[in-house]
Amino acid sequence: MAVALTACERGEQAGSSSQQLSVTVWAHAGQASERRTLERQLQVFNQKHPHIQAKLTFIPERSYNAQVQAAAIAGDLPDLLEFDVPYLYNYAWQGRLQPLETLLPTSLQQDLLPSIIAQGTYQGHLYGVGTFDSGLGLYGRRSRLLQVHARIPATPDQAWTIQEFDQILQRLARHDKDGAVLDLKLNYPDEWFCYAFSPILQSAGGDLIDRRDYQHATGILNSPASVRAMTQLQHWLRDGLVDPNVDDAAFVKGRVALSWAGHWEYRRYHAAFGQDLVVLPLPNFGRGSRTGQGSWVWGITRHSTAARQAAQIIEYLMQPTQILAMTDANAAVPATRTAIQLSPLYKPGGPLHLFVQQLSEGVAVPRPRTPAYPVISASFRQAFADIRNGVPVQQALDHAAQVIDQDIRDNHGYPAITTH
Amino acid sequence: MSRQPLSSAGILLTLPALVGLLVFVAVPFMLAIVLAFTNLRLGSPLPLEFVGLRQFLRLFADPAFTHALINNLLFAAVVVPLQTVLALALALLLNQPLRGRTVFRTVFFLPVVFPLSLVAVVWILIFAPGPDGLLNSALHWITFGHWQAHDFLHDPLLALPAIMLTSIWQGAGFQMVILLAALQGIPFELYEAARIDGAGSWQRFWHITLPQLRNTLIFVMLVTTILAFRLFEQVQIMTHGGPRHATTTVMYEAVQAAFSRQQVARGAAITVIFFIVVLLVTALQRQFARQRHD
Amino acid sequence: MQARMLATLLRYLGLVILAILFIAPIMFMLSGSFKPDAQVLTEAGSWQAFIPSQLNLENYHDVFARVDFLRYLLNSIFITGMVVLLGLVVNSLAGYGFARLPWRGRKLMFALVLAILILPLEAIAVPLFYEVTLFGWRNTYLVQILPFIANAFSIFLFYTFFLGMPHELEEAARIDGAGILRTFFSIIVPNSKPVFATVAILTFLTQWGVYIWPLMVTSGETVRPLPLAIATFYTLPPLQWGDIFAFGVMMVLPILLVFLFFQRWFIRGVVASGIKG
Repeated sequence: MAVALTACERGEQAGSSSQQLSVTVWAHAGQASERRTLERQLQVFNQKHPHIQAKLTFIPERSYNAQVQAAAIAGDLPDLLEFDVPYLYNYAWQGRLQPLETLLPTSLQQDLLPSIIAQGTYQGHLYGVGTFDSGLGLYGRRSRLLQVHARIPATPDQAWTIQEFDQILQRLARHDKDGAVLDLKLNYPDEWFCYAFSPILQSAGGDLIDRRDYQHATGILNSPASVRAMTQLQHWLRDGLVDPNVDDAAFVKGRVALSWAGHWEYRRYHAAFGQDLVVLPLPNFGRGSRTGQGSWVWGITRHSTAARQAAQIIEYLMQPTQILAMTDANAAVPATRTAIQLSPLYKPGGPLHLFVQQLSEGVAVPRPRTPAYPVISASFRQAFADIRNGVPVQQALDHAAQVIDQDIRDNHGYPAITTH
Repeated sequence: MSRQPLSSAGILLTLPALVGLLVFVAVPFMLAIVLAFTNLRLGSPLPLEFVGLRQFLRLFADPAFTHALINNLLFAAVVVPLQTVLALALALLLNQPLRGRTVFRTVFFLPVVFPLSLVAVVWILIFAPGPDGLLNSALHWITFGHWQAHDFLHDPLLALPAIMLTSIWQGAGFQMVILLAALQGIPFELYEAARIDGAGSWQRFWHITLPQLRNTLIFVMLVTTILAFRLFEQVQIMTHGGPRHATTTVMYEAVQAAFSRQQVARGAAITVIFFIVVLLVTALQRQFARQRHD
Repeated sequence: MQARMLATLLRYLGLVILAILFIAPIMFMLSGSFKPDAQVLTEAGSWQAFIPSQLNLENYHDVFARVDFLRYLLNSIFITGMVVLLGLVVNSLAGYGFARLPWRGRKLMFALVLAILILPLEAIAVPLFYEVTLFGWRNTYLVQILPFIANAFSIFLFYTFFLGMPHELEEAARIDGAGILRTFFSIIVPNSKPVFATVAILTFLTQWGVYIWPLMVTSGETVRPLPLAIATFYTLPPLQWGDIFAFGVMMVLPILLVFLFFQRWFIRGVVASGIKG
């Protein structure tokens, strides 16, 4: 193996000394502003590094994982791959990625938000780093909340208790035309449900899977705590407190007073309500407020012959100015402490500093770090849909836990595969 | 003229198509049969294992899959006759000397040219819940305010009918064109003779039109049945198989298994069952049609 | 006389009501493509859903700004065109071989072709994917064309059409000493325009909308067809409905033109191929 590695490196040097080395890059086709920013960044990178030619391809967000898996089987992965972080463990287990800790400078790794390191690490190796992380919370209208005498929590430890939250919803509903006062983004696609609602399991004392060894979900995902949390959610849905939000305008149109949403909604919401907008932690279901984290990250593929150059691109994108250029475009949480200090939205006292707090104080929980994640996510999404449609919570969660456990058994517990 | 050159020519002419079907349909299908007895997962680094009938046993124990089979049968049982009757009605209305016939024909055919993925998206918006949804407000207006807004795609009783409506809207025009063409092929003398015998228009329809359309109707229903069993895109985009498996279909379950959960072997097992079921249904249909004929 | 007037009137009434129902969703899309994104859904509950209040072309501009529409369009035209053209040749020959030429094993083979007719692409996509991966055809036009040329349904349509053709034409040609291929191309094909039109438009329709297959075997804009371009519009909500509708309108126009062009033959074609069942 060592022989192969040195041979590889020699090949690289030979290539870079004589001519341009092209580095293929795949990124998700997100919002127009994000795409434009990344395009511009790579153009500038190419100008500054005449020996490296980054070649960018946008891949539609829809069915992104299926496209990556297909390319992997066909041996057609790019050198530098962007992906949604919870898939990292599956890709790393399949041997698609190479560790980054030796490729990226230590100073950069030390500057990263703890949440970025936590979610990018699998079996002791760092396989992916993002230029930004995500924030999830409750957006509210101050005026509507004060109207029902609600307390406005400022930090995660002041979060509303679930009883308090329930009362606020009921009181808001009494002042509301159609009684629907909460937006849960029911219109969102696939990954949203696990990202946004598995934190309430943890807040209640449950979880998606036993994180000690990632071997079973039964007894955790369908534990009394998890069932309690999801039952609460089912009540809101059943009592008509939640807006179906097909047009994604429930909050900006003023139909609801509260919106359970991510950092990406800040700009639109702020434009609609200005000073009346408040950003709050998710409610505390018993064990303290918990929230989601993680977003798109960069990884270098195992068979890349341009790993060094790909790492240089990551390094470039992780410079504070570049991070800020991207987070300006998508309003996400900058991934390094340095960049956060420079961000008007996220620096201490900024309107979204709450999200930084959540990410650095252990309020945000990474999604389970196991190759079984795609199945966990699909099962929880199915359970959520069933619960929304009135299936008894215990029954829906029992089934999800069974499906997950069966998948883990089928894969012999996802044993570590040594490909190094 | 000997038979020999004709015979070898027959093989030669069909050969390119047969090779194509063999390489790109039959071989993958045979591969699916083999994979159905394994535990293959997309991209898994673990060695492939043969697991016997495990995938099949699991499928038949899974309520989602049994729902999928039932939904497919239900969908075919409702959509095939309904769509055929609607198409026949349209064809009969258009099979008359009328001003603007071409315009009407084009209008009814128009939905056929829309890709299903686009049709499904448009219909999600039509079925939007709440009183401001397109269909809800239309029904409210037609019933003079008696209609209560429904969330069609999340109502276990309405979700499958909603998908049926979408599919009929999209497919009826195609059947209409086929039936219209068949109607125009019926010799005019048959009607003349009947009229001389004093047959009314209802009798003419019953004793001339229907028997003359018999083969076309069988053809149309056979094709629609096969298409009904392929139902997938509308489900994937409009309901994700929900609520409570009310709209899941066999093809949807297959694609979910293979793409969403990376369970290739399970998807392959579904393909095998799908093939057998549709083969049986269409064979029964043909048998039935043949018996009626004799 | 009055009864007949009444009947005509009723018929028109029925046709107009049905036509409105059929065209309403299309008008909804068409008018939405001219509206600012936010208005598409807010006006869904009123008459404005179907009538564009303005002719705003911004959504169409957006489509061209967001994806290389022309590239995707040309890819789609090339791929679909090749599948249609090659499919017409290959499948008509096969249909003729099955319908008119006696050969050993013909019945069995035809039964197998009919059985294969059942399988949609989704059912065999993954094994087929593994297969073409072995051939190394990723990111090519070839991999999007070749698997779809031979088509059991097209063979079936040609077969039923040729079965019903009078034998005299071929016999005359054969007496003149024409070979089978020459007979086919100079006698059979010119007399079978309807079935060719039918198969052409059906193949075009299915091929124009394929999504899963190119998703698996291609990446990037170079060889990808239109249905994958529209996938890039489905990002995190709020979705730009106006853009999506504008894209949809532009995607459907070519099919509509093909249909209007072939429609005359198409309608006769289905008679002849369908009627023998």
